Amino acid sequence: MTEFTADRREFVLGGSALAAGLSLKYASPVEAQSGQVYGAWEDVMRGKWTWDKVVRGSRGLNCTGHCAMNVYVKNGIVWREEQQGEYGRSGDDTPDYGPRGCQKGLRHSKYMYGRQRVLYPMKRTGERGSGQWERVSWDQACDEIADKFIDYAIEHGPESITIAMGTQMTLKRASFGSLFRFANLTGIMVPETFAGVGDLPVGAYQVLGYELPGDNMAAVFKSKVCLVWACNPAATRIPDAHFFWEARYNGTDVVVISPDFNGSSLHASRWLNPKPGTDAALAMAMAQVIMEDRSIEWDYVREQTDLPFLVRTDNRKFLRGSDVDPESDGGDKRFYIWDEASNQAALAPATGFGETAGRGLELETDQTIALGALKPALEGRWTVETASGPVEVTTVFELLKTQLQAYTPERVQEETGVHADNIRSVARSFATAKPGMIFAGYRMNKWLHGDLLLRGCLLMCALTGNTGRAGGGLQTTQLPNADGLLAYAFNGVGPRLKVAATSLWDYAHGEGADLNRRMYGDNYAEYIDKHHSEAIDRRWIPDYAKTPWKMGFMAGHNPGNWRAGGEGWRESAMLALETIVTLTPNMSVTAMFSDYVLPIADHYERQDYVMEGRTPYAQVMDAAVPPLGESLDDWGAFERLTAAISKRAIERGIAPVEDQIFGQPISHDYTKVNAIYKSLTRKDGSQLKVSGTGDVAQFMIEHSKGLSKVSYKKLQRDGFVRVDDSADVQFGKGSNYSHYVLDSVTDKKPYSTLTGRQQFYMDHDWFLQEGEGLPTYRPPKSLDGFGLRLTMGHARHGVHSMYRDDSLMVSLQRGEPDVFVNPDDAASRQVADGDLIRVYNSYGEFVAQAHVSSNTQPGSLFMYHGWDPMMFRGRENFSSVISTGSLVKPVQLVGGYGHISYRTPNNVPNQTYHDSTCEFEKYVEA
Amino acid sequence: MGKQVAMVIDLNKCIGCQACTAACKSLWTDEEGQESMLWNNVETKPGPGYPKNWEEKGERSGWKDGVLQYGGLHPDEDFGGEKLLNHGAAYFEGTADRLQQEEPMGYGANWDEDTSSGDYPNNYHFYLPRLCNHCTKPACLEACPVRAIYKREQDGIVLVDQDKCQGIRLCNQACPYDKVYFNYIQNKSQKCIFCFPRVEQGVAPACARQCPGRLRFVGYLEDAGPIAKLVYEWKVALPLHPEFGTEPNVFYVPPILPPSFDEEGRFSDEPRVPMDYLRYLFGPEVDQSLITIMEEMERKQQGKESELMDLLIARDWKSLFNIPDVRVA
Repeated sequence: MTEFTADRREFVLGGSALAAGLSLKYASPVEAQSGQVYGAWEDVMRGKWTWDKVVRGSRGLNCTGHCAMNVYVKNGIVWREEQQGEYGRSGDDTPDYGPRGCQKGLRHSKYMYGRQRVLYPMKRTGERGSGQWERVSWDQACDEIADKFIDYAIEHGPESITIAMGTQMTLKRASFGSLFRFANLTGIMVPETFAGVGDLPVGAYQVLGYELPGDNMAAVFKSKVCLVWACNPAATRIPDAHFFWEARYNGTDVVVISPDFNGSSLHASRWLNPKPGTDAALAMAMAQVIMEDRSIEWDYVREQTDLPFLVRTDNRKFLRGSDVDPESDGGDKRFYIWDEASNQAALAPATGFGETAGRGLELETDQTIALGALKPALEGRWTVETASGPVEVTTVFELLKTQLQAYTPERVQEETGVHADNIRSVARSFATAKPGMIFAGYRMNKWLHGDLLLRGCLLMCALTGNTGRAGGGLQTTQLPNADGLLAYAFNGVGPRLKVAATSLWDYAHGEGADLNRRMYGDNYAEYIDKHHSEAIDRRWIPDYAKTPWKMGFMAGHNPGNWRAGGEGWRESAMLALETIVTLTPNMSVTAMFSDYVLPIADHYERQDYVMEGRTPYAQVMDAAVPPLGESLDDWGAFERLTAAISKRAIERGIAPVEDQIFGQPISHDYTKVNAIYKSLTRKDGSQLKVSGTGDVAQFMIEHSKGLSKVSYKKLQRDGFVRVDDSADVQFGKGSNYSHYVLDSVTDKKPYSTLTGRQQFYMDHDWFLQEGEGLPTYRPPKSLDGFGLRLTMGHARHGVHSMYRDDSLMVSLQRGEPDVFVNPDDAASRQVADGDLIRVYNSYGEFVAQAHVSSNTQPGSLFMYHGWDPMMFRGRENFSSVISTGSLVKPVQLVGGYGHISYRTPNNVPNQTYHDSTCEFEKYVEA
Repeated sequence: MGKQVAMVIDLNKCIGCQACTAACKSLWTDEEGQESMLWNNVETKPGPGYPKNWEEKGERSGWKDGVLQYGGLHPDEDFGGEKLLNHGAAYFEGTADRLQQEEPMGYGANWDEDTSSGDYPNNYHFYLPRLCNHCTKPACLEACPVRAIYKREQDGIVLVDQDKCQGIRLCNQACPYDKVYFNYIQNKSQKCIFCFPRVEQGVAPACARQCPGRLRFVGYLEDAGPIAKLVYEWKVALPLHPEFGTEPNVFYVPPILPPSFDEEGRFSDEPRVPMDYLRYLFGPEVDQSLITIMEEMERKQQGKESELMDLLIARDWKSLFNIPDVRVA
């Protein structure tokens, strides 16, 4: 045979004439190849595409995907997954949602069997981080953890113990609820992670009294102009990205705004490339163009916003009821407009009814912001009589006009690098091609002054009447209502949940003011610290320095990866903990530095359901195979832990631990915590003995508006079901999503803001002192002597820190963490593509491979986030040059100003991640 | 007479997510011996791609003046390939400080992801998914000295009969697209099978049905439907490197990137991707294809109807797959 092959090879290669003759083979295969019988082997391939059973599933992690999968099981293991795919539409004209999915999701069937899996409980035997473990039983692990838990709770109070829930598990509704239930029953602290990762859209809360305005993804298709801003859906919204390019085909002006030419920029109708961190100037310039062109939806602005509200020119404060009548009830919350109909100041409707209700609660008022016969002036100056004499007043609109004069496109071109003509062109498109949408990335919020960018964006949307318009407005996200989750978490003992803002927690437990002193100088550090102290003194924010931190449960949570400061935070805050317990399916740097690692079942090994407002569907997770090794799902793990806590509390004769919540005394009887954890009272009064997460899911569904007609069994069978009242691109009142903005825009209920309107003017002293009374632009902070900006984004080939170590995903990158640099910046530092570089600043350093590409703006570096420190030399990732861990801004510490107050999880100071600079050089391995 | 199955890939929708790559890998090439095999891959263009510099080899392969050319074989390192990480040592045994590939890769199938060409801000790149073209004149078939490669009468799918293949690798040399791979364990050449077991049952290939970007149309060239409309009527879908002479049955809707900037930074009319590069990839027909797409896009911008745009939008996901008896997998 070998001989024949050699001959044949020579034959073919040797004679071109013969080879040409042979080419007839393709023309008529059967004839030319007569005598050959093909196809028997085809049955082998047909045999490969077979399976034993199909289970409906998904991955319940925080990628906002919740994609419906058929999970194929063969020979007792998960073989592969494929999209179920057959979704419907939102409205007749939009594309349907099918098929949803991404490379990580389609890789899960392999990753779940990967070597990073934790298969049994482990107890640390060597130094933290040494990777030396002893395999222990669940009983031993739980008993030891329970004893420590009880010790800390008695000695330092339950708040000295935290449970943080990470992106591995936050979207599994019932499991998430189980962790909250554990916290609620035991009195321990939950450091929130939304603002903790710098994602909280604080600016949206400030303006709207609601931080998560957004419709489902099909709304993108309905927009006629869509500014995709600080967002790279091609990498971060893979199941949804098609809507953007389909919209472009449909005539929408899709404008991507990003410093780097990313995967979304290349599919845009147009690309704007501001310098990193200057986006708010761009928003202000576009607002300036809209204002100058007077492309304004006048009636909308008069009714929906505070722009017609009167402001005293003497002290720049709103004219209030208390100015006119100091004795009036609630007068400090009553505001005025100038009524052109009667040519006099008049009280604005629906103001002054007292404390605002807060997001998620039905506003208990029948008041309406509808103007009736009133015709509020937007422009002018008038004199009004107050208790202390006549004062001159004008409108917020007038102040804004003046403010915007500083933001002409020509001036803003200097700051942003975006040509004035391009700013005008995009602004005019936004103002005229209605509906106009701003699809906002979370990265906006990671700048210290990210709130100002959102205020600028919302101003653009308000002037053009786009907020609340189908296919328009600012899109952040939509989360399902908390009704079912809270009904479960609070069941039996009522609400006792303690949630802490991570930014403030870290300020107290990390390096605090010292960090700012080292990085941003004494003056700035003192300035922040003074405001922090004053906010505590005024009881605007809690003082977490008074709460010792002894023990941390990290549930699907990997803060050692992403927390600003990297190793600095790990050393100063995390490793200061006496006991760290990580519950996770997969190892990570956080697990590595833990004292106990408990194995948690992965997505195809457990029951739950997932919801996220990107689509109008609730999605099942069903168990295709039993949990791997000794892993348990989260409900099961905490059943074991509560059992151990109760057992040890009984054995040790522990009396109820006295505690306080909302100023009221409460106590936690740890001897009963397991019994309570497992029993629920349904709304009809009947008792439910919970035996697994499926029961919890059923309970939560029953208690969730908009899902009441669904059973968990139906979900298991069908995979996904449509939530009620979700026929169009905006969710209806009967759905399980917020109807908040539409309540005001269509139903004319006041917004939950101080003014009851979209509030663009903040007359609080601290806002005025900071120059942030009106939307404005403040440049990002830098570190002295370092000129490059490291920008980052959610990973394409990972979900947060997950899947970053999957062998295929890694091989579809460069095998190790890489950082994008511009060719000019690389050349001037003698760095070539593929070289290792050391990225450093006065805070720290990390080493990664240089990925030289002209898609990166000169003067900046770009890195996908989520690469685990374990994958870096010295176990230091990008977080090690993020010096912003203690950067909080004064206006986000303000409380007692209507809706502006410390309200976890809706409004707390955002953790800052971007206001840092760095340098890089070639790195040669020792 | 049988039909010819075909695929149209819309590059204006491809986001380079590699879901197709992962879907294909899980289904067909997850065994030992197949680590460096991606029957379906996605690469950044312009760029050396996968395997590295395949287009250079492509120019030496395929058909030239009716004569089959053999371009040689790539060294293994041009493929990269899936490498395991040292999870055990780093996480559980305490013997490695860093989690890394057991054997570092010096190149990979997606090594140059987002490596742009040209100078910022007028740089350019886009994503190009690639699979076997199931050519009408398959070079691999012609090259096989033992006639292990055949083109199925009923659907034109080109297959390497694994019972007959002897691992001679002339097919690897002849294919100008480098879409035949070598299984070193089995000593067989292997390649994309257009998911024939699925297609036979009316289910689109995994790379197409599992593409979240909704950018792959599947159907038969002879049937009325989106494929025929895009390839023959609107003439917007073009084969890759037609000069290779194999007459591919995978077609691409060429990419239209956002406008470039003039010297002062204003939006300019100059196309971002040089036309010469697009002609290099898709041949001279690309000019008219781009004009047609842009004209139809403009109609939509003016609020007018466009059959072409509606076809490409594909509001109904299943409209992408025009094969008989589509059923849910």
